[in-house]
Amino acid sequence: MRLRSTSPFAIPAVILVLIAAVIPLIVLSASVISGADVVSIWSKSSVQRALIFSTWQALLSTALTICLGLPTTWFLSRYDFFGRQVFMALVTVTFVLPTVAVGAAFLALLPKGLHHSTMAIVIAHAFFNISIVVRTVGPRWNSVDDRLIDCAQTLGASPLHIWKSIILPLGKSAILSSAALTFFMCFTSYGIISILGGPGLATLDIEIYRRAVQLGDLSGAAILAVAQMLLIATIFFIWSRGRTSELISFRSQTLNPQKLPLGPKCFLLGVAAFFVAPVLALIASSLRTGRSWSLAGWRVLLGMQNQKGIEIDTWQALQTSAKYSLIAAGIALPTGIAATYAFSNRQSANRQLSTLTILPLAISPVVIGLAILITYDFDPFDFRSSWLLIPIIHSAIALPFVIRAALPVVQGIPNDLRLAAATLGAGPWRRLLTVEIPLLRPAISTGFAFSLAMSLGEFGATSFLTRRESRTLPIIIAGLFGRAGEIPRATGMAASVVLILVTAMIVLSVDRKSYS
Amino acid sequence: MSLIITDVSFNYGERIILHDFSLEVTTGTTTAVVAPSGSGKSTLLRIVAGLLKPTTGIIILDERNITHTPTHQRSVGMVFQDNQLFPHLNVHDNVAFGLKVSKMNQRDINSRCHELLELVGLGDVMRQSVATLSGGESKRVALARALAPSPRVLLLDEPLTGLDQELHDRLAQDLHQILHLTNTTALLVTHDLSEAKVISDSIHHLQ
Repeated sequence: MRLRSTSPFAIPAVILVLIAAVIPLIVLSASVISGADVVSIWSKSSVQRALIFSTWQALLSTALTICLGLPTTWFLSRYDFFGRQVFMALVTVTFVLPTVAVGAAFLALLPKGLHHSTMAIVIAHAFFNISIVVRTVGPRWNSVDDRLIDCAQTLGASPLHIWKSIILPLGKSAILSSAALTFFMCFTSYGIISILGGPGLATLDIEIYRRAVQLGDLSGAAILAVAQMLLIATIFFIWSRGRTSELISFRSQTLNPQKLPLGPKCFLLGVAAFFVAPVLALIASSLRTGRSWSLAGWRVLLGMQNQKGIEIDTWQALQTSAKYSLIAAGIALPTGIAATYAFSNRQSANRQLSTLTILPLAISPVVIGLAILITYDFDPFDFRSSWLLIPIIHSAIALPFVIRAALPVVQGIPNDLRLAAATLGAGPWRRLLTVEIPLLRPAISTGFAFSLAMSLGEFGATSFLTRRESRTLPIIIAGLFGRAGEIPRATGMAASVVLILVTAMIVLSVDRKSYS
Repeated sequence: MSLIITDVSFNYGERIILHDFSLEVTTGTTTAVVAPSGSGKSTLLRIVAGLLKPTTGIIILDERNITHTPTHQRSVGMVFQDNQLFPHLNVHDNVAFGLKVSKMNQRDINSRCHELLELVGLGDVMRQSVATLSGGESKRVALARALAPSPRVLLLDEPLTGLDQELHDRLAQDLHQILHLTNTTALLVTHDLSEAKVISDSIHHLQ
């Protein structure tokens, strides 16, 4: 009942990635190769500063994320306690929240002295990326047999020694993976830096945007983009080589029903507060202008009050965001699920195609935005001006999430089930409707919700391609925080509240089993 | 007397797993506790090892009350039913684990590992990954690892489960010999009376 080759199912996904990433990146690279001066750009002080700042803030952010993420992961992956499901939901939601809105939330939470500081950036990065550590290291630590730890104790190992010699080494490859991914996310951070950065606090992505859009130095921006791409590719190459050497197989264990001790309980409460406090501060901040309580921000956002210099059509922005995200999810979902059928079959061609579809996630959205700006700007591809381009890019970025959500589900459907349906007289369409789709339901809902969330919050690529009459909510938020004055700030906070709540509701509406 | 267990009880919620259990194990001998599955044998060993706290009762090891001593300070060795070899360490490093904890110098660690692996008949697999070992070899490594730090008492939890009959019988003989050669004080729990007869010096039936 399985096709001899499932590769054709991957064709739509491959076409999508070709349009949204591969072709633009080739054109971008070609423009750099043909460019005359790839050296002098590096002598510019703003570029050097951006490179140094990108690296060290990413290192600091990764260190803080790992320090907070590892204990969180251990308690979540080993103990069953009251509120664990809520905690897991929080972890899931934080990762997909729109970056600019989270930047705004930390502006609302942190004291003024920390606004536009490295510390604010590092803290906000940890907020996002703890989720990566929990997701990557959690399954590994969950599979460590309790008796292995018992055994180490009988051999005289103290709790500290057990961490050093058993728990950390068994999680080593997953910890390194999560650290590499966190470093990548922070190195290419753009939305957070747009809000929390400032003079001297620009990353390479900000510099790429500044050169391309503000200075009109497209070739300089392209050189930086290609260099960044090569750097990230090198890191991932080294990282993936390390992963293949792992031989240990793991089985997941049931959670320890023992009571969580007081220390870990307090730690987890602290982390939960770290996740919730910025959002509460954001809501409070949206209700204030200056030192007094006021609804001015909300009134301006809802068009009930005019404010000089702020011309935003919230309804239009919401419509644009909703339209883009629905189209993106509408493309990413069927394309991703079809591709999953190809990738669930372990042919080598499929493995290579599977790697290709991760590409939009492994490249910074700013680089993708710039590449598209350069590629589709001339005949016969002059569809840069088409509004459809943005949801297509969003769908390509969401594609790896859909595939990741669907792969375990598709692999878990026994082929015999299809055969059984066929022997009962069900034709291909009936089998699809009565067997495959009902079984795929969790993957469909997770994939759909994540695609919507990714598209709603996408800022990097969109900031290159957006037009005045079709701005999305993240673009409007970034614009509002770029203006001076209390009312634009309160309006930005209010818009961030809307974006965060909508995204959180979408993700939380997914079947709880999908994320716990 | 090396190990004295006095009136040990263990309840899990309302359920009584062990009730007023007492036993004495003489230094240098092996005592077997024989009982059917689900009768609290493994619980008894976990209590002696300090992995579970008894509801009531006292454990004395070499004249020291260890009832409330943390596991890692008790000097007990344990061979688990399914070996529990550390998957990220090779054979040598598994055996060396307890010696490294006790901060022995590297030369002594190497010679002790060599000695023990020779004793259990595995001198030639020292650098192999534990994933490549057969069931019988894994059991032998688990035994060598537990014996390496010279524990005051060795606890054996159904150590020969899951082996085919021929290997089971051979290993039972070897185990008896090794425990005698090393003059180890051991407490064995098993459901198999014939196994207990081969390995141990005295047998205690748990009701």
